Amino acid sequence: MAIRSTEIRPILASLRKHRIPALLIVLEIALACAVLCNAVFMISQRVSDIQLPSAIDQQGLVTVSLRGTDDKLVGSDIPRNLAALRGIAGVQQAAVTTSLPLSHNNWGWSFGVSPDSAVANRKNINVSLYFLGEGGGKALGLHVLQGRFFNADEFAGSKFDTAALPETHVVVMTRTAASRFWPGQSALGKTIYSKPFYYTVVGVVDDVLRPNVYTQNTSKSYDAIYFPMSAAGSKGAFSYYILRGAPKDRDRIMREAEQKLAELNPGAVAKGKIYMDIRNDYFADMRSMAWMLVLVCAVMLAVTAFGIVGLTSFWVGQRRRQIGIRRAVGATRGQILGYFRTENFLLSTAGVLIGMLLAFGINLYLMQHYEMSRMPWYYLPAGAVTLWLLGQLAVLGPALRAASVPPVEATRSV
Amino acid sequence: MLKMNHLSKVYRTEVVETYALRDFNIDVKEGEFVAVTGPSGSGKTTFLTIAGLLETFSGGEYHLDGIEVSQLNDNARSKIRNEKIGFIFQAFNLIPDLNVYDNIEVPLRYRGMKGAERKQRIMDSLERVGLSSRAKHYPAELSGGQQQRVAIARALAGSPRLLLADEPTGNLDTQMARGVLELIEDIHRDGATIVMVTHDPELAARAQRNVHIIDGQVVDLSEEPRFHAHAGEAAQGQTL
Ligand SMILES: Nc1ncnc2c1ncn2[C@@H]1O[C@H](COP(=O)(O)OP(=O)(O)O)[C@@H](O)[C@H]1O
Ligand SMILES: [Mg+2]
Repeated sequence: MAIRSTEIRPILASLRKHRIPALLIVLEIALACAVLCNAVFMISQRVSDIQLPSAIDQQGLVTVSLRGTDDKLVGSDIPRNLAALRGIAGVQQAAVTTSLPLSHNNWGWSFGVSPDSAVANRKNINVSLYFLGEGGGKALGLHVLQGRFFNADEFAGSKFDTAALPETHVVVMTRTAASRFWPGQSALGKTIYSKPFYYTVVGVVDDVLRPNVYTQNTSKSYDAIYFPMSAAGSKGAFSYYILRGAPKDRDRIMREAEQKLAELNPGAVAKGKIYMDIRNDYFADMRSMAWMLVLVCAVMLAVTAFGIVGLTSFWVGQRRRQIGIRRAVGATRGQILGYFRTENFLLSTAGVLIGMLLAFGINLYLMQHYEMSRMPWYYLPAGAVTLWLLGQLAVLGPALRAASVPPVEATRSV
Repeated sequence: MLKMNHLSKVYRTEVVETYALRDFNIDVKEGEFVAVTGPSGSGKTTFLTIAGLLETFSGGEYHLDGIEVSQLNDNARSKIRNEKIGFIFQAFNLIPDLNVYDNIEVPLRYRGMKGAERKQRIMDSLERVGLSSRAKHYPAELSGGQQQRVAIARALAGSPRLLLADEPTGNLDTQMARGVLELIEDIHRDGATIVMVTHDPELAARAQRNVHIIDGQVVDLSEEPRFHAHAGEAAQGQTL
């Protein structure tokens, strides 16, 4: 009802007499549409990065790193420390690990599926290695999808010798890593190689993020494998004590664990951290980037809205007499309101048409120069509709003022 | 057609109340051609704007075509202006952004008329005012006389029952004024009721009836002494 198709031709005729301001508004809307589409797309990408799933008990995990211990004594210190940690009220599981998802603490290696694969083989697949002490699977909250987790013998029998890879022959990998090594096949019982080492897959777990993630290609972010490791054979590689409890207890558990480890290991420094803080720190830059983009959108929309309000108010002021004439020859208030809303609709339409092209162009440019991915098509109409609505909202005030110009305005001499 | 009883119009500002019209009585019959005269500031324009439903009044009664107009809401008043009334103003009041054709079309569009009929009416009325060749011109490209003829064409195209003209020749030279008056007489012959405000006695003389307004009231011209007294005051006022 408000947008009047019957008014379009005379409105266009009238706009032809005000080309420059009309063009400015069209360009402003076009720019806002283009920036909005791309910025919202980037925000959505950041948000989905920030929300990358990771199948461990992220909310319930507490970590403590212990620095300054004697590596020769870890074989006895670690079991003693873990026993003490398990005594803290609310601790359901405790274990040690070399690294954690999103901890930046990456240990990468590459493996192949044929026995002659050496570490430098180009066909090899790069993965992140996690070494877990006994009970590590339960402490992290890994979900075993196929096969089993390591048994006590496998934990006890695994150790580092002189090489970087452990003296064991079992491994557990994520679902994504498994399908990368053997697409379309079950990984159970199959073997990965890095001459002279080889490991047979005994279990597949749900996807867990690597210590560092690839935000542009998220599937690579899940290529991780797990090894068992004994405390005695770990050569000081265990960087974190991990404790699992209820999320509501985690602050207290962290403080008590810090205290306990400090007491048991005089001269060493115990530093606790809630796992969610590790994760949030990892994405802190991305989060502030997303907020900055939100700000850019807000400013852009506000500037556009004020531009529309300003120009329409100016036009209403300029056209008071002509509005009076229209009222005098029979326009209702609704028809005057409709005039300005239709005019805005036409300007917005021109603006969003240019804006959608511009948005598409900006996305192509970013894809070529900044490893941006392709914006899904529906961002364009969504941006257009947003600016249409913004335009209608912005024009309402000035248009209502126009509609309240009395018909007698026509007779007032200038 | 147009009947006002004890009508008054007060303009209130913070400091003063001006009675633009007081105890104003007039009765214009269907098909009549009435000329309204009176000194400057006497209330002629005020009367016309109220008659044309451009403005509301403060007291009294006004029946237009048998309808008590103070009962009407804004939309109903707009509809009557659009369908029954044609206006001609001293300042022409065309829309500068629109060409002649589009200007004449404005009230027809508000009436919701179909495109073909609009075109027919616009071409007919342009022909009647002798401006068929100027349809694509903008008001600024026309002389004052031509602009006023466009304004008449705009009124004409809507076939109004009542034509209200406020000093339609006030801004025109005698030659052009004569042409405009002839057009108005033409419209009258077609059956429209005409109320024309003018300060030109020669033009007023061509109407069927003259109504004289002084200080917001209709003066009976037969009451010689009163009329002279007021006319004298007005004259004095002007020389000062
Ligand atoms: N909008 C207004 N506000 C205040 N006073 C007005 C207004 N319009 C007209 N008047 C006053 O009403 C009186 C009649 O004005 P008007 O009808 O324009 O006279 P005329 O057309 O006969 O010259 C004048 O005193 C004028 O100053
Ligand atoms: Mg006047």
